[in-house]
Amino acid sequence: MRGVKADQPLPHGHGSVSPFLSRARKQAVVLAFVSATAFAHVGSPDVFFQGNAGPYPLLVTIRPPDVIPGVARIEVRSLAPGVEKIELTPTPMTGIASTHPPVADVAQRVAGDTQSFEGALWLMSVGSWEVHIRASGPKGTGELPVPVPAVALRMQPMSRGVSYFLLGMMALLAVGIVAIVGAGVREATLDPEVPAKRWSRKTTVAMACASAVVIAALWGGNAWWVSDAATYSQRIYKPLGITATLNQPDQLQLRVTDPGWLKQRRLDDLIPDHGHLMHLFLVRWPAMDRIAHLHPEQTATGFFETRLPSLPAGTYRVYGDIVHESGFAETAIGELALPNVDGKPVTGDDAEGPTVFETGYKMVWVHGESKPVIAKQVALFSFEIVGLDGKPASNLEPYMGMGGHAEFIKDDGSVFAHLHPTGSVPMASVAVASPAAMIAMHETSVGPVVSFPYGIPTVGQYKIFVQLKRAGKVVTGAFDVTVI
Amino acid sequence: MERENSIPWYIWLSVFGVTSAMIGVHWDIAWHRSIGRDTFWTPPHVAIQLCGVIAGITCGYLILWTTFTNAPLRAVSVNVLGLRGPLGAFICAWGGFTMIASAPFDDWWHNAYGLDVKILSPPHVVLAIGMVAVEIGCLVLIAARMNRSAGAARRRLEWLFLYVASMILVALLVVVLEYTHRVFLHTAVSYRVISMLTPIVLAIASRTTGRQWAATTVTAMYTVFLLGLLWILPLVPAQPKLGPVLHEVTQLIPSGFPLLIIAPAFVLDLLWPRMVAWKMWQQALVSGALFLVVLLPVQWPFADFLQSPAARNAVFGSSYYDYNQSPQSYAATWRFVPLENAIQFRVGLGIALACSMVSTWLGMGAGEWLKRARR
Repeated sequence: MRGVKADQPLPHGHGSVSPFLSRARKQAVVLAFVSATAFAHVGSPDVFFQGNAGPYPLLVTIRPPDVIPGVARIEVRSLAPGVEKIELTPTPMTGIASTHPPVADVAQRVAGDTQSFEGALWLMSVGSWEVHIRASGPKGTGELPVPVPAVALRMQPMSRGVSYFLLGMMALLAVGIVAIVGAGVREATLDPEVPAKRWSRKTTVAMACASAVVIAALWGGNAWWVSDAATYSQRIYKPLGITATLNQPDQLQLRVTDPGWLKQRRLDDLIPDHGHLMHLFLVRWPAMDRIAHLHPEQTATGFFETRLPSLPAGTYRVYGDIVHESGFAETAIGELALPNVDGKPVTGDDAEGPTVFETGYKMVWVHGESKPVIAKQVALFSFEIVGLDGKPASNLEPYMGMGGHAEFIKDDGSVFAHLHPTGSVPMASVAVASPAAMIAMHETSVGPVVSFPYGIPTVGQYKIFVQLKRAGKVVTGAFDVTVI
Repeated sequence: MERENSIPWYIWLSVFGVTSAMIGVHWDIAWHRSIGRDTFWTPPHVAIQLCGVIAGITCGYLILWTTFTNAPLRAVSVNVLGLRGPLGAFICAWGGFTMIASAPFDDWWHNAYGLDVKILSPPHVVLAIGMVAVEIGCLVLIAARMNRSAGAARRRLEWLFLYVASMILVALLVVVLEYTHRVFLHTAVSYRVISMLTPIVLAIASRTTGRQWAATTVTAMYTVFLLGLLWILPLVPAQPKLGPVLHEVTQLIPSGFPLLIIAPAFVLDLLWPRMVAWKMWQQALVSGALFLVVLLPVQWPFADFLQSPAARNAVFGSSYYDYNQSPQSYAATWRFVPLENAIQFRVGLGIALACSMVSTWLGMGAGEWLKRARR
């Protein structure tokens, strides 16, 4: 289990506009900084990636560890028969170490399934890693680089059994060493057979000194432990925040804020993903009945600006997807209260929805309702646009180079994931890992069915927004799903 | 009835355990520097934990045997919480249990905070305390036996005592290995830790055995042990199994060239017989100062040599550095770490001088006590 829930409630009520806003309708103010695990997605640390390792189409799942250094679990499923061997090699995505791979690990074939393989790899440092999946078979060999962000997510508490064992050993060893010192002073220098005095001042002083040393050692050890734990806790990932101001009736100013994590994190090193430095999602909360997928322009380091489409008043969750030049992707998170916004219709790559489809067309989840969705289990979520005749629309187009974009959002706000048909990895990260792989993944023809590989991280109620492009227009479908 | 002139099985087993641990520790460090990947069951870990297991089982058995039978050792045993046995057996057993307790602690530490890639972490220190306790227990076992023996048997036990003392020196200097790497040998902190840990062992060895060249012998054994590891470990092929790999490695990477503590040890051995009439504190002050005064002018230029191209070979080992060490690092570019300014350096050396004196004084006191140990 790797999913981490947002464990802090929002400080303000959901779905209402604050009194301040009712007085100053021109301004929208961020109400809260949402605490959650959010490096490229929120509460969804596992990586899902679909691509070709040479002649072999693969679906890869990487479940990163909670602590770094730690062990990532890797599942590889060949989508076509013929793969005989899968080798796994982790390297940092950039820098000199990216050119010195360690010895590859061979993934083990899953019993009873000739196309599935499992393996484990150590991720040794925080940052942007890639796992090279090398597939071999009769058609030769091929490699698929899969970007993986490695961050420490939490500190694992000590189990009751281990803590009792260690406390018991500590007590035994503390008493033992004091008794040994006492025995040493009392008897060790006596000749054989000479009876020892039961007690003496010297023995008492020695045992008192030993006790003092033991107490001092335990105190010092505890202080050291606390200090190391505090140092480690600073390495636990802290998501970027995002604050916003509505400075014109339909213009949103955004500021990405760093709550302090690793000093290496910068905001002046962002690279475009699908041609945009930020993919901004506004989701009306808690109903999740409205979503806007916008692409703000950067006006200065950490500052962005965008026009808003028409949006109803309410509280909105704000998710800003960005990618650093190292390929490390993050989702900046915040919350925003908006008055009724009377904006212009979206243009270009911007989208909002759910779409009210013209008569005769609708977006459907292929076999969606017929199969149970199980937490953490990788599945292909497939969607299509069908006409009145029930036939799928054949005129789908790539949307920002992808067959489509999908957002999975949990109703308690603890999960937000932005997916493509290639999986959960931003294309900008893929480009850093392998420009050739990124080019190969850009889709030129789409559909009619568009599928997203994903393992929803936790049990609960989710909303899926799916954005496909048809006839030059981006349409957004909304689907409810119960995950068991 | 065992013969007092023989070396009993439990002493041999303890010495074996101590040796296993010390080889294991250096092997483990080489493993981390070249292969990287770590599980509880790597061969070096097994070698280390073997020490705790041997100490725990051997000395546990010895204690139970002495407590519940009419064993000959009963006459030379001490009473700890109602149990009887030689004092060294209790210390060994305590060390063994401490080592064993460190295993789940270390495992949890890895799971909670990630694999620690540093020597000095709380669970590692618990392990080191246990290991050094086993070594001290072994030393006390040998000392008590030695003090009850005479002639050839005593001489054999004296050699064993010096050997175990050298293993203690190896263990103590491993704990501070991160501060005594060649790149730190022009800093006061390096000399501070060496002065803190070495004179105590040399003084114990000299006082307890009474041999004139005890300190030299101990440091010679330490030197031979580390040179053996320096020259043998790189013969074992190894490749990194973890990233980031910043530097290609094809064999185990050993710890560096041993410290030249044999030089001050030789001088101390030479001068200690001339100080016998002095008070212990006077001897400690002079000996502590001598240790540092002799070490500095020997180790300092030798560190320059270790950083030079002439030392970048299999003999001196300066060409070895870790797979995850940057080619721009101090070790890989053979530069000294400028850790301290002039004032910090002078103050640091002053502290090193005080440490050396106190360490010598403690060692002399412990040696005098060990000389009288009978049980």
